[in-house]
Amino acid sequence: MAALGARVSLAVPARLRALWGRHARRGLAQDAGEGKAAKPRPAFTDEAVQALLYKMTGIDLHKVFRPVRKELKPPQYKLMTEAQLQEATRKAIEEAKEKLIMPPVLDEREPIDDVLAEDKFLEGTETTKYVFTDLTYSTPHRERFIVVREPNGVLRKATWEERDRMIQIFFPREGRRVIAPALFKDENLGNVFQQDRHEDVLNMCIAQFEPDSPDYIRVHHRTYEDIDKRAKYDLLRSTRHFGGMVWYLVNRKRTDGLLIDMINRDLLDDATSLITLYHMLHPECQSAKEAKEGKLKGVDLIKVFVKTESQREGYIQLALQAYEEAMATSTAS
Amino acid sequence: MVQLGSRLLKGYRGGHVVIRFALGGCANRPFFRIVAAHSKRARDGKYLEQLGCLDPLPNVHGERVAGLNLERLRYWLGCGAQLSRPAEKLLGLAGFLPLHPMTVTGAERLRQRRQRPQQVGTAPVDGP
Repeated sequence: MAALGARVSLAVPARLRALWGRHARRGLAQDAGEGKAAKPRPAFTDEAVQALLYKMTGIDLHKVFRPVRKELKPPQYKLMTEAQLQEATRKAIEEAKEKLIMPPVLDEREPIDDVLAEDKFLEGTETTKYVFTDLTYSTPHRERFIVVREPNGVLRKATWEERDRMIQIFFPREGRRVIAPALFKDENLGNVFQQDRHEDVLNMCIAQFEPDSPDYIRVHHRTYEDIDKRAKYDLLRSTRHFGGMVWYLVNRKRTDGLLIDMINRDLLDDATSLITLYHMLHPECQSAKEAKEGKLKGVDLIKVFVKTESQREGYIQLALQAYEEAMATSTAS
Repeated sequence: MVQLGSRLLKGYRGGHVVIRFALGGCANRPFFRIVAAHSKRARDGKYLEQLGCLDPLPNVHGERVAGLNLERLRYWLGCGAQLSRPAEKLLGLAGFLPLHPMTVTGAERLRQRRQRPQQVGTAPVDGP
């Protein structure tokens, strides 16, 4: 796991930058712009943060490669030696890493409000507006010209929703509809959460919306809230959405439920990396200072964190006790 | 078969390239393709390149959708293509070209026509 971690911290940023490109640069630029006086806050895209989140996500090969609804084929059986099996497992882990690349976490986009021309004498000639889209194949979608001529004669740039719709009409992308499915409305999300299909909702959301659109952010936050409320963190573990969820919770200082869940499942390494991430993001809190002075590791780190930062101290103490007893009995026997 | 060949490989005397609308669609449902074609060709016949489209009927969101491949449009204009009047008006509305003078004149005329019934209504009262 350590070797994998080292490899990941080098490989992931380059891949992320290649994947997210413009998005990451814009997000980073915004973050850098805010905190110039003090040390800039760690962003989602930092290598250290990504390494921690990736370690917490875990790789459960059975879950990552679980059967997806495709056309039916009879299963293929192969006869392999031990060495070949190890080679195949290694290749599977490589592919799993590709599947676990985290989708971008960006700030909400600013609404577009730009008037190009005002021709007031055209008022009253038309009853409906015209939307003109530039169909040049080589321009990136973010830089495409999409303008609207209103009935009152004003020529303005199109809003983000109009832009997304027009681009989907002329350059359709698979998995995306022109008008968003009714699934993403707040009242319908509740039904989906009842069926424990958070991961499917998030996958559909990534296909349908742009990462910085308000709908994408709203659906993601709703999903994370629901998981936190019902403590169903395991649904997202070993998927690409786990990192985003941890980032959301740590930014809002609501890590207790997740911590309890990790301790109950005997994932102490994940618990320590969660607290390390917390200290990276909130360096001014009490437990961060104590940890830096004492250079604590492992269970001590968790105990210091629990004493100072958490709301549900009692539960976490109980979980820790149970874990220690289990460790004691297992080492004794 | 000879007739087919002469229709497809037509060579014209004179004529020029125009960028105009080719009408398609069905009954009571027009749809225009913005097309670079020879001026002597049929309106909906063989064209050199499609440069965009225009849907004159408003959609669910109350907008008339038009797509324009500006890069290729610039190429054909650079090659010396001419524009038909509706194409010029559309490009003027889009902001690619300056507004067509007939658009402005049309707006003026419409406004005067709308004001005239009101004036006719008030005129008899003002009469001596």
